[in-house]
Amino acid sequence: MTPLPLHRLLAALVVTGLLAACGFGAPSAAPAGPVGRAPELVPGQQVSIVFESYNLGQAGAWSDTFRTLIDEFHAGHPDIRVTAQKPQGSSANPAADAVSSVQAQLSTGSAPDVVQLGFSDMAFTIDQLKAKPLDALVGADAVAAHFDSGHPFAPAARGLAQVGGTTYGIPFVFSTPMLYLNTTLLARAGLDPNRPPSTWAEVQRAALAVRAATGKDGVYVDCVTRTAKDWCLQSVVRSAGGRVLSEDGHRLTYADPPAVEAVSMLAGLVSSGASPKLTQQQAVDAFTRGDLAMILESSSVQATFAKGAAGGGWQLGGVALPTFDGHPAVPTNSGAALYVISDDPAKQRAGWELIRFLTSDRAYTLIAQKIGYLPLRTGLVDDPAGLQAWAAQSPMTRTNIAQLDRMEPWVSFPGTDYLQIRDGMMDAVEQVVLQGADPAATLTTAQQRGAALLPAGS
Amino acid sequence: MLVEVRPPVVTAVAAPVARAPRLRRLRRALVPYLYLAPGLALLAVWVYRPLVQTFQLSFLSWNLLPTSAAEPVGWSNYVRLLTLPEFGDAVWRTVGLIVGLLPFTIIVPVVVGLAARRVTGRAGTVYRALVFAPMLIAPVAGAAVWQWLLDPRAGLVNRVLGGTTNWLQEPGPAQLTIVVVTGWHVLGFAVLVVAAGLAGTNADYADAAAVDGATPGQTTRWVTLPLLSPTLGFLLLMTVLLAAQWSFPLVDTLTSGGPVGATTTVYYLLWDYAFGSFDAGLGAAAGVVFFLGFGVVAMALVWLTERLAVHDA
Repeated sequence: MTPLPLHRLLAALVVTGLLAACGFGAPSAAPAGPVGRAPELVPGQQVSIVFESYNLGQAGAWSDTFRTLIDEFHAGHPDIRVTAQKPQGSSANPAADAVSSVQAQLSTGSAPDVVQLGFSDMAFTIDQLKAKPLDALVGADAVAAHFDSGHPFAPAARGLAQVGGTTYGIPFVFSTPMLYLNTTLLARAGLDPNRPPSTWAEVQRAALAVRAATGKDGVYVDCVTRTAKDWCLQSVVRSAGGRVLSEDGHRLTYADPPAVEAVSMLAGLVSSGASPKLTQQQAVDAFTRGDLAMILESSSVQATFAKGAAGGGWQLGGVALPTFDGHPAVPTNSGAALYVISDDPAKQRAGWELIRFLTSDRAYTLIAQKIGYLPLRTGLVDDPAGLQAWAAQSPMTRTNIAQLDRMEPWVSFPGTDYLQIRDGMMDAVEQVVLQGADPAATLTTAQQRGAALLPAGS
Repeated sequence: MLVEVRPPVVTAVAAPVARAPRLRRLRRALVPYLYLAPGLALLAVWVYRPLVQTFQLSFLSWNLLPTSAAEPVGWSNYVRLLTLPEFGDAVWRTVGLIVGLLPFTIIVPVVVGLAARRVTGRAGTVYRALVFAPMLIAPVAGAAVWQWLLDPRAGLVNRVLGGTTNWLQEPGPAQLTIVVVTGWHVLGFAVLVVAAGLAGTNADYADAAAVDGATPGQTTRWVTLPLLSPTLGFLLLMTVLLAAQWSFPLVDTLTSGGPVGATTTVYYLLWDYAFGSFDAGLGAAAGVVFFLGFGVVAMALVWLTERLAVHDA
């Protein structure tokens, strides 16, 4: 009678368990079924949904406004419970965590139902995160009716979350690049506040004048770090006559001469001393404190700046994106659209109701006033019951809306590695602008490495 | 984790037991394994299974989404990883971080530990509590405060130093910042370990040395420090293996690995591949390489410590 080889048995069991347990991902042959219509909710049908927005991760005006909006939505839709949450992650700018948070939650099987994601993540949102086509969920006519209801959507904004004629998302919070000015500092440097700088050369001269006269910093262009993403870099490159991605979307072009010229100009601002070397967070803080004369920023921080100006006793102004001599400025948009990613028909319908409310006249009135984002229902600024009084007080809004008409969409890089491509480009730009690397060589190297990440066949 | 189980004592008069029913023998043999089972099961589920999965993932291309397919790609993740310039850079930066942290985890704690021995009673307790306090501050909260302190224009650090260095946006200063803030954070832990090591040394040796006429300095150098060497070996091992993990939350919050990658350590790189750009295969390949690399380093260090450390036998 030999002793039982129990330890061997146990070891064998454990190893089998370890090896058997591991299958990853979906079977490769799983085709996604067509998305069906989400039926209208019947009265009394209780639905609870989760809404994730990076604006909820920003304390102050952003989260306060969003909580007010959700409360109002609950009052109007007693059967729908919305749990509003911010993205998981610890970036200084929660917008930087938005996609990874949704993806992480999807991979654990409990994703939010309605998400607010940036336009540069749109291709990924639709192809990989499987945002549901709204045209299929509620019907194309219902989507069109929503765009036209109340004060209609600006034509330039409507189609931003469309692919191949199908609407996947409703454009939501939104800005074009604005050059915010501390007119008090500019005046102290002997500059005429009625003739603000309109070209990059003038911006540099004004910035150097401020530095010489006041010892404060001149200008910060928030387009040069990974955290800033690339929306405003695209504006600057487009304004110099270049592109970061070819029009057919198959080739990276951010090392072409016009783009190199644009990045060199930004580097010149830093090397001449017109621009300090700051992180995004530091620059926004410095401008709010009154330590920086100009900043190229999204209007999402307009309310913060206004508060800083009121508290610090300086005047806030704002002008359009500066031009390169001989070229018109081409603003691109920052911001995000709202998408439904739930698979449950009741939650899909409830999600649509929430999106409708968040992009209504009422919501835009609140968001524009409290945060500063552009009201995409632009007629509101002429409506005495809407934003007319507010727009009269903040002339920057008119500038922002005027840029909307000549705006070009923020282009997203193709494929699943789009973030590595974008981050690689932004790292190269940061290296050139803030660390003084050679523009053409650095951008070319980054572009070659990025090109290897483009999807095959493009 | 592992429980030592004494085998049942078999005496010479146990002959009838040999004829006992098979079931009873089996039961008796099974008992120790039952005691071990909960621990082993947890170890298998939480440590070995993820480890095996990491190895498997490193041969796949997958973006972690349950709806997308994982494609087998052979060794290509490893090839990509080893040809990426970021990889080598991150390894060297991690080495730099470890070297930079050694003063905080070994030199300063020994000095503080020796000095604190002279402070006795309640004052000593308060003193040690103060040194340990930074360890209790959540890294992300601490990082937020450091961010204000390090602001180039309004921050306290530059006001005191009178400079204009942007500590978070210039590569060299950013690396220094991460080392110092991580060091500040783990210093208390290292001091505590040294204090425990000192408390464990037998005071008789120092007394004997004093009787022989050794000065306090000679006693410290030739008696106390050698007796402390196992503790210092342990701290060295901890620093080498955990430096990149200790700094991770600070890197994530203060610099996000920047400026232009200057503070990207191996763990931040791994995390960025897997959860920043959702390239699970590449992240897993990096994980496997670091696991093996750190394993070799740990074995070498343990061997070295065993050889060099003085044991109070």
